[in-house]
Amino acid sequence: MLLYILKRLGIGIFTIWFIATATFTVMHLVPGDPLANDKAVNPTIRANLERQYGLDRPVFEQYVLYMGNMLKGDFGISFTEENRAVNDIIREHFPVSASLGVLSLFFATIGGVLWGALAALYRNRWPDAAIMLVVILGISVPSFVFAAFSQLGILTLNQWTGRSILPVAGWDSFSSALVPALVLGMSTMAYMTRLMRSSMLEVANTDYIRTARAKGLSALRIFFRHQLRNAILPVITVLGPAIAIITTGGFVVESVFAIPGLGRYFVQAVAQLDYTVIMGTTVFFGAFLVLMVIAVDILYGFIDPRIRLGAL
Amino acid sequence: MMTHDYALQVDNLAVEFDTYGGVVQAVRDVSFKLRKGKTLAIVGESGCGKSVTVQSLMGLIPMPPGRITRGSARLGNDELIGIAPAALNAIRGKRIGMIFQDPMSALNPTMTIGRQIAETLVVHRGLSASAARAEVIELLRLTQISQPEKRLDQYPFEFSGGMLQRAMIALSIACKPEVLIADEPTTALDVTIQAQILLLLQELQSSHGLSIILITHDLGVVARMAHDVAVMYAGQVVESGLVDDIFYRSAHPYTLGLRAAMPSNDPRKRQLQIIPGSPPDLFAPPPGCGFADRCAQAMRVCRDTPPPAYGHTHQARCWLQDPLAPASPVTSLMVNNKAD
Repeated sequence: MLLYILKRLGIGIFTIWFIATATFTVMHLVPGDPLANDKAVNPTIRANLERQYGLDRPVFEQYVLYMGNMLKGDFGISFTEENRAVNDIIREHFPVSASLGVLSLFFATIGGVLWGALAALYRNRWPDAAIMLVVILGISVPSFVFAAFSQLGILTLNQWTGRSILPVAGWDSFSSALVPALVLGMSTMAYMTRLMRSSMLEVANTDYIRTARAKGLSALRIFFRHQLRNAILPVITVLGPAIAIITTGGFVVESVFAIPGLGRYFVQAVAQLDYTVIMGTTVFFGAFLVLMVIAVDILYGFIDPRIRLGAL
Repeated sequence: MMTHDYALQVDNLAVEFDTYGGVVQAVRDVSFKLRKGKTLAIVGESGCGKSVTVQSLMGLIPMPPGRITRGSARLGNDELIGIAPAALNAIRGKRIGMIFQDPMSALNPTMTIGRQIAETLVVHRGLSASAARAEVIELLRLTQISQPEKRLDQYPFEFSGGMLQRAMIALSIACKPEVLIADEPTTALDVTIQAQILLLLQELQSSHGLSIILITHDLGVVARMAHDVAVMYAGQVVESGLVDDIFYRSAHPYTLGLRAAMPSNDPRKRQLQIIPGSPPDLFAPPPGCGFADRCAQAMRVCRDTPPPAYGHTHQARCWLQDPLAPASPVTSLMVNNKAD
């Protein structure tokens, strides 16, 4: 198990290096540079930056320099925001994105497992049909459409009751995170519902569920003790990619709901070709995702003893 | 014999399945009696309805598409067919234990062996976790699993097939059931393990007074284990009786065919005897005897009218048993009955 984790970490580091290099290359292939922006950059900053990052030097030298700084944990200073270190931007805004992401992942997983199990339980009857209809909507409708409709919904609700029950946008209380998290997790939840449903149906036909029934266990006990844990395994597998979908999808939802998350900075930085912020946020997100996927692999081992004890 | 001499009595059971191709009549009017403390073997080829018969008694066939259209099954004095799920759950695992063909897949892969066995004790006998654990160790010892204290915390994938079947037996007898149903318990195991498992079942039968229904297609297993035998063909019991009746006084051509198909050590019989043809389509069972098309002795009546069951303790559903039938290779039950 330890060897397995070490191997995964090694591959993860290689992946992060690859992400950094690819981003660096693509970024420099885009015409223009961050200092040729309409946002006025005064000559002192320009001189400072050019000296520190060697924008006048050949690209390969810049690459080596950048990688060296990154290894030391220094992502540099933003080109467009005066004297603001990328590290500070990440430190300040990532927690916002992370809490939104965690909340929406929580919604997606709990919702997916619950709805999927329910649909399987009522297979081919109306609750199953209703859930699967919503699932198809959830998968096919993009998150910005959900975001707009949910804002409209909140607005109508607030007007109808005459009070501010939920905030339409912004980031100041826990309640302002609820709807964005739900919108953000929608497609993942829909996908997990489908997966959970088919997985539950598969498990329901296994020999060991027949054994559990032959033991005289109640349907409820079979469901919780035997079916759920085995059916959840394939759902756990998609948690890694689900985290990727949720963090990347976060950019859109963050801008619709005016949430000061890291995603917004990322989008801004790309528009303004802010080299250091693009690199910093991309590498950071990349590293985060790689770590999450490894964490999911380890979690998988805890749920399935065959993996933990090295049988597979 | 009086009713209370039987652990389980099944009468006129019929089971159907709805499929896309139509309704399959998997079990057609099956009756048998299981004597207390004895082993009844239900024998027949694949698809003859032997597994469906016992699974329908246990409420284990999926409904829908399956349904029990007729019949009754009494465990002691209690009816099993058509009772409420809670009542059935109080019987399953407690008064009837069951073991299955493939031990590798019959246990939950994400739960330790010990907890799976303890679960029945907790549910049916209300034992505490620690009391159940102590009892599980005893059960594993009883089924001859070495180092039970260590083994009970292991998962099914850490057991061999034979060990898993022992654990399965421990699970099924945990609540000291009256009846044990063994659905092809040794088919998935190799021959030496098979012999050990059969021996274990025999030992448990004598120590616990178990009544066993043994489902198999292996006549060697029948000869070794059974007191009574029911031969099934195309969803019906075609012949039933004491094990010696079935082997030495076969009263149905199908039983004779099965016996001839057994491999032997005789060097003169180089090739296995087979029964020509295949079982009838159970979507539309033939009007007469289901075996008529494969039977060398078939008469005109066999194809038109289903044969009644002839005989008493040794029964056969075959027109050859009729007083008007010509002489044939099957043992005549009329002669036997006179001798009774």
